Amino acid sequence: MSFQARLTCLAGCLALVAAVASAADSDTARLTKDPKNWAMQAGDLNNHRYSELKQITSKNAKNLTVAWTFSTGVLRGHEGGPLVIGDTMYLHSPFPNKVFAIALEDQSIRWKYEPKQDPTVIPVMCCDTVNRGLAYANGKIYLQQADTTLVALDAKTGNELWKNKVGDPKLGETTTNTPHIFKDKVLTGISGGEFGVRGRLTAHDLNTGKILWKAYSTGPDNEMLMDPAKTMTWTDGKMAPVGPDSSLKTWQGDQWKLGGGTTWGWYSYDPETNLVYYGTGNPSTWNPRQRPGDNKWSMTIFARDLDTGVAKWVYQMTPHDEWDYDGVNEMILADIKVKGKPRKALVHFDRNGFAYTMDRVTGELLVAEKYDPVVNWATHVDMKSGRPQVVAKYSTDKNGPDVNTKGVCPSALGTKDQQPASYSPKTGLFYVPTNHVCMDYEPFQIEYTAGQPYVGSTLSMYAAPNSHGGMGNFIAWDAGTGKMVWTKPERFSVWSGALATAGDVVFYGTLEGYLKAVDLNGKELWKFKTPSGIIGNVTTWEYKGKQYIGVLSGIGGWAGIGLAAGLTKGTEGLGAVGGYKDLAKYTELGGVLTVFALPDR
Amino acid sequence: MQPFRIKSFHVLLALATSLAGAAPAAHADDFPTSGRVEYVLECMQKHDGKYEYLYKCSCVVDRIARELAYDDYVAMSVALRNQALAGERGGVFRDAASAKDMASKYKAIEAGANRACAVPQR
Repeated sequence: MSFQARLTCLAGCLALVAAVASAADSDTARLTKDPKNWAMQAGDLNNHRYSELKQITSKNAKNLTVAWTFSTGVLRGHEGGPLVIGDTMYLHSPFPNKVFAIALEDQSIRWKYEPKQDPTVIPVMCCDTVNRGLAYANGKIYLQQADTTLVALDAKTGNELWKNKVGDPKLGETTTNTPHIFKDKVLTGISGGEFGVRGRLTAHDLNTGKILWKAYSTGPDNEMLMDPAKTMTWTDGKMAPVGPDSSLKTWQGDQWKLGGGTTWGWYSYDPETNLVYYGTGNPSTWNPRQRPGDNKWSMTIFARDLDTGVAKWVYQMTPHDEWDYDGVNEMILADIKVKGKPRKALVHFDRNGFAYTMDRVTGELLVAEKYDPVVNWATHVDMKSGRPQVVAKYSTDKNGPDVNTKGVCPSALGTKDQQPASYSPKTGLFYVPTNHVCMDYEPFQIEYTAGQPYVGSTLSMYAAPNSHGGMGNFIAWDAGTGKMVWTKPERFSVWSGALATAGDVVFYGTLEGYLKAVDLNGKELWKFKTPSGIIGNVTTWEYKGKQYIGVLSGIGGWAGIGLAAGLTKGTEGLGAVGGYKDLAKYTELGGVLTVFALPDR
Repeated sequence: MQPFRIKSFHVLLALATSLAGAAPAAHADDFPTSGRVEYVLECMQKHDGKYEYLYKCSCVVDRIARELAYDDYVAMSVALRNQALAGERGGVFRDAASAKDMASKYKAIEAGANRACAVPQR
């Protein structure tokens, strides 16, 4: 139900509309309000990754111990995390995208679903066969498969309810994002910026999967759902309409058709503004000389009306990208003081090394500061034009093709990739996993062939020079002032999503496989070595009075692979849905969810 | 806040840059039991689960533990494993000199321990 609808109905039809609304809307937002659940991948609509649970505290976190583990049976990278609703956990795997419903009581498997997907999708996934997890609404589980099929399952039985394919892997289109449930819709995106696909967002009916609207990141206004007169953007220090053909004007010829601007990140939704917020990825190709212009609206923060899909405001962070600084990272909604004034803010830690604080209602640019001091490709963001001030010697466009541009910070991995940060309303701070890596970047000329990589650059990466020697940091950030509060160096990049809790503990995982608990000053309280590197997101829930912490580990090539040897007991019943009895006791090899709790006294 | 772990970085970098296979420093011999068991299970698995490797692989991990602090062992062995990862992710471990150093130093230490414990390199 929209805010406006609610206002009109105050005149007497409130009860009726409430009944209608409850039939149409999802129960997801309500479920996230109970901290015992973890009902969305980010924990809530705001992408906070914060929990009110406080049984585990900065005093007792050092006593955390393994409660149980669960192996997905799939090798390769495990991103995302489990959902917990009531007494059931729902867990996904990378390709082939298995889904497990697990009873929290005894970890028996209630059902298992494994879609049949054409394995030729694997080579067109640029960056491993990851999947960032499931979504839940109204007794249904939503899975976004690698081959772009969006599927709804009965949460009780695992039976398929509907399917809708949103892309074509033959054109290099794949999907890795979680489906996002906002109000009465499920939203999904597309990956494949390395293959010259044209990014878009689609909104689907929860019950049928039918596409309600589709909004492209590049192209004509009508296909982008842009209103030239009403869609606003930051212009000369204030908000102004984007005007007609705002995307078309910034591309040569019809290059926008291969424009990239993919949408595989973490979206958020504010019921008060009825706006959905998300970012778009790099323009294709990586060779900037081949695509002159600002390449709008790649590398952009979008705010769209959830009901119509029409863009309310846009802000392009990296016009004419020259370094692959995708803008898809999570959009965190927080009501904070910005420069002393309370604001309904959107905070975004971009790959390009700048942390942006926007007014999420109007789209005004409030703060744009580097969240790693080594960032050097731009001196700063000009607050009037909103444009980054690019340093000539790090411009791979100025230097041109077949010239190796050296010492660019950050690398193409970004100061941060998709691994989501956490926001604690208790401290008002953001806890951010980061890369501390620089690169040499050499673009080259490339021709487009459907379904083939459309990258056009070679690069080499290394730890940020003249620093602590490590390749990552875990930082605390004040988005109201644009300042780092503390930083904790890490040997390797931090590629796991963070979690903050009301127990004054912040959790994150490392590539060595450590799950770490730190206090609000960044002091390490506890760490535990899981079987593999952690690129999943830390999750918490409560069951029968006990708080649990869970994290997926598995990046490929790990120690744990041999561990289940000897425990395996027949694979019968594995391929087909149906053999639940055999499954219940089955231990598979592969990525592992490790679950922790405090020991009983 | 002062980055409090910075000291251990220097230790690691010193290790990664100066640790020749033949220069065993005095270490804490601080591997947790779980770390040793994990190593032995994986090592046994690599050798078809033969029981004799319970002894041989234990011998290897005990030797590695005498040469490296556990945290350094974890980082260095991860650097080696992750070189095999596909795409950008593995790129960091294949490109970065610090990671390459860690990987090659660890490879040498493990190879030495394998020889001493009659474990064929796999």
